[in-house]
Amino acid sequence: MDDASIDPDATGDDGDLPEAAGRRLGSGSFSSGLTVPDFAACLQMGLAPVALVQGFCVMQWGWYGQGSPYSRGMTPYAFSGPSVPRGVYSESYQCPHGGYSYSNEHRVWGQNYQQPWVESAWAEGFTSSYTRMVEEATEVGAHGIIGVVDTTRHLADMNVTEFHMLGTAVVVRGVAAPSGATPWTTYLAGQRLAKLVEAGYMPVSVVASLASVRVWAYCVTEMLMEGRPLSAYGAGGYLPVAEVEQLSRAHIAARSLAREHVRSQLGHDTLQGAAIVANTQSLAQGDEVIECALRGTRVRRFKDFDPLPAPRPTVRLS
Amino acid sequence: MTQPQDLPKEAGHRLEELEHGLFTSDLSVNEFLLIKEAGFHPLGFVMGSSIYHTGIQARRWSKSQELTKLTEAMYNARELAMTRMEEEADQLGADGVVGVRLDVNYYEWGRDAAEFIAVGTAVKAEDGTSHRNAQGKPFTSDLSGQDFWTIMQTGYVPQGLVMGTCVFHIAHRGIGQTLGTVGQNVELPNFTQALYEARELAMTRMQDEANTLGATGIVGVRLEEKSHQWGSHTIEFLSLGTAVTKSSGEVTLPKPITIISLDN
Amino acid sequence: MSDPGWAQAPTGSDLAAEMRLAAASLGKPAHDAPSRAVTSDLSVDESLLLHSIGWEAVDVVFGASVVSIPPFVWTWGSGEITAASEAHNLAVRSAAKHLGAQCTEVRGHGVVGVHVEIEVQRHHVDVELTGTAVRPVKGKDTNHPFVSDLSARDFTLLHNAGWGPVGLAFGASFVYAPRRSAGTAMRQSSQNVELTNFTEAMYAAREAGMEHMQRSALDMGAQGIVAVRVSEGPMWFANHAIGFTAWGTAVRLEAQAHQYLSPQVVLPLDDAVVEFDVQSLR
Repeated sequence: MDDASIDPDATGDDGDLPEAAGRRLGSGSFSSGLTVPDFAACLQMGLAPVALVQGFCVMQWGWYGQGSPYSRGMTPYAFSGPSVPRGVYSESYQCPHGGYSYSNEHRVWGQNYQQPWVESAWAEGFTSSYTRMVEEATEVGAHGIIGVVDTTRHLADMNVTEFHMLGTAVVVRGVAAPSGATPWTTYLAGQRLAKLVEAGYMPVSVVASLASVRVWAYCVTEMLMEGRPLSAYGAGGYLPVAEVEQLSRAHIAARSLAREHVRSQLGHDTLQGAAIVANTQSLAQGDEVIECALRGTRVRRFKDFDPLPAPRPTVRLS
Repeated sequence: MTQPQDLPKEAGHRLEELEHGLFTSDLSVNEFLLIKEAGFHPLGFVMGSSIYHTGIQARRWSKSQELTKLTEAMYNARELAMTRMEEEADQLGADGVVGVRLDVNYYEWGRDAAEFIAVGTAVKAEDGTSHRNAQGKPFTSDLSGQDFWTIMQTGYVPQGLVMGTCVFHIAHRGIGQTLGTVGQNVELPNFTQALYEARELAMTRMQDEANTLGATGIVGVRLEEKSHQWGSHTIEFLSLGTAVTKSSGEVTLPKPITIISLDN
Repeated sequence: MSDPGWAQAPTGSDLAAEMRLAAASLGKPAHDAPSRAVTSDLSVDESLLLHSIGWEAVDVVFGASVVSIPPFVWTWGSGEITAASEAHNLAVRSAAKHLGAQCTEVRGHGVVGVHVEIEVQRHHVDVELTGTAVRPVKGKDTNHPFVSDLSARDFTLLHNAGWGPVGLAFGASFVYAPRRSAGTAMRQSSQNVELTNFTEAMYAAREAGMEHMQRSALDMGAQGIVAVRVSEGPMWFANHAIGFTAWGTAVRLEAQAHQYLSPQVVLPLDDAVVEFDVQSLR
């Protein structure tokens, strides 16, 4: 059956979707967020758009909880010694100046550490909004969702983050979806999706992950970043041109962690079209919070293909 | 007007390195490959610049006129920048410079001063034949790599970047004149005349430069209008193009395939 | 599960058949699965181009470096601000080294499509590099990975022409704008003249920056630098100090000679669509 007429009563439990979603999805005509060229490509691939589906979730950050960047005065160590949880990134730095004779302000210890509580809150928000979008798609009997647009908006003054996912649910003509299968999802649509399939890859799902690394600066980092030489602490010295190793390593760690989080969701599949957004929040005195979000489409190779012959170079006359 | 041999000494080391075989270019990979197709090899990224003080010139509020001192200043400044760029190309033994870009930068610490920069990539023919222009100097052109390849296929060769400039002051209208035309659809002959004249002056000067080079014609002419830092009643009209002559080669441009692309 | 391949451009009905085949494959175990999942920030087009020369993507890799600039260097002086130039060049070198190290770890031959982000602040320079490590499918490992800001497409084009990237060539230089004495300033205010000391200062900055870039390319054994990108301007926090940076990809001819492309000339018949904007009639 080609057109997507749905009987809302037949699909069972709506879960936690708003009531209006049920009415919209049951309306019988299709809606889609695709542009005209993408719509044409979609039909050419044998996909029929069914409905525009979305999922939404608002998460509150527990700023005053463990490891809050705003709670100074606590020990800088989130993890130390044998209590470091396995697989969590952390690196300590010690003052090289034999520091106790300096003022109280001299930061003799510093640490870079991963903040898994932040990461899991983000993951929860993302997964909830994703799951709700997929639920809407399942309700209309879709096989997949294409052209997913995923927006994360942070309302700083309320410590709240909104996750919104929107996509076009489609049905693959001529294929009966195996029962109980979750719709496949992808950020791609139109010609880019067509090329992906022609290249031998099938999208499996959208994947995304956040890594959060907190830097508690030690004395060397603080001085180099603030431009205040040791003499401010009552000892002579000057500041050279030097790599601020603590920060360099924290930046690389944040990005690498985001990549590894995503890799753990891939199984044996490949991540296509990775997009990275890194955000650095500078707190006082050289401290930083670095957050890096990595998004992409998980794809699976479904056929071999011979390499393309080298494409013909052309020069346009206009 | 031009002063040869006035490159600052700092330019020396860098150009020497380029003469020993390393090439640099700000051409994209596409352009690099097309330059090679045309039988040329890039030698080096060349640039010339000049920081010029563009001073004041008295102007009558109610008269439309060319501000000749400012015209001269803008012209001299660009000439200095272009000449220095040509000298760097000359030092490398280049046949010409492609992809020339002329930019003007303003800095907050220099009131009424602007920096004029000319940058491009110097190239040399791989078969050793000289492609220098009628004056024996490396040709300059603002043609991109693609345009350079295309024009070489048509049997025309670039001679030089030619420009004409004119700084014009547009008279302010008196109160009587403004009130007299309120609410009417009417041509403003003063403005029309002024702007017409200014553009013609700029383009004629550009044509004169091309004639000096013995060129057959000018391609890719661009007319730019800028007020720089003088306020909206003073405008510089700059006309730029690449002067070309017909060489002895025949047209080797292959017949194009017509396509319709279905991209967004 | 093998497919006849690209004998001809797929037509519409072939594409729908491919889609059905693809969707059906989700229920079965992965075909030809690598032991470690591959990540890549290349587009599909770029992946296909790489595949056409027998290369593949391995992993997204990162390099980053923060280098401090000593205090008081931005106070108006004269000549080159060597501390800032040193800091910039050290930061880019260090970040490129980390990137290369990550590339070697995943057995890549080099990194393409490197996105270069450089920020000069008052007390530090931050450099962040992100790219995709690539390798020839049937190739031995190498100890000298290249780092290049060429897109995978440009990399493939150069490869077909016989050239290969060697590394990222970069240079930077910072100078003070010279001061004019009050007397000179007044004398110059009504004349249209060249400000020779300013000109020389800017030349000094540019030439020093470009020379460092050239030297970094020569040190890598390169024959040239393509797609040089240049940026210059005053520092936002100290606008009497001017920074000049240049970077590009250093390349070397790897084949015996340059391979000519013989491009096809095409004449697109798409005219630009002129949109009629009703709003403009108000």
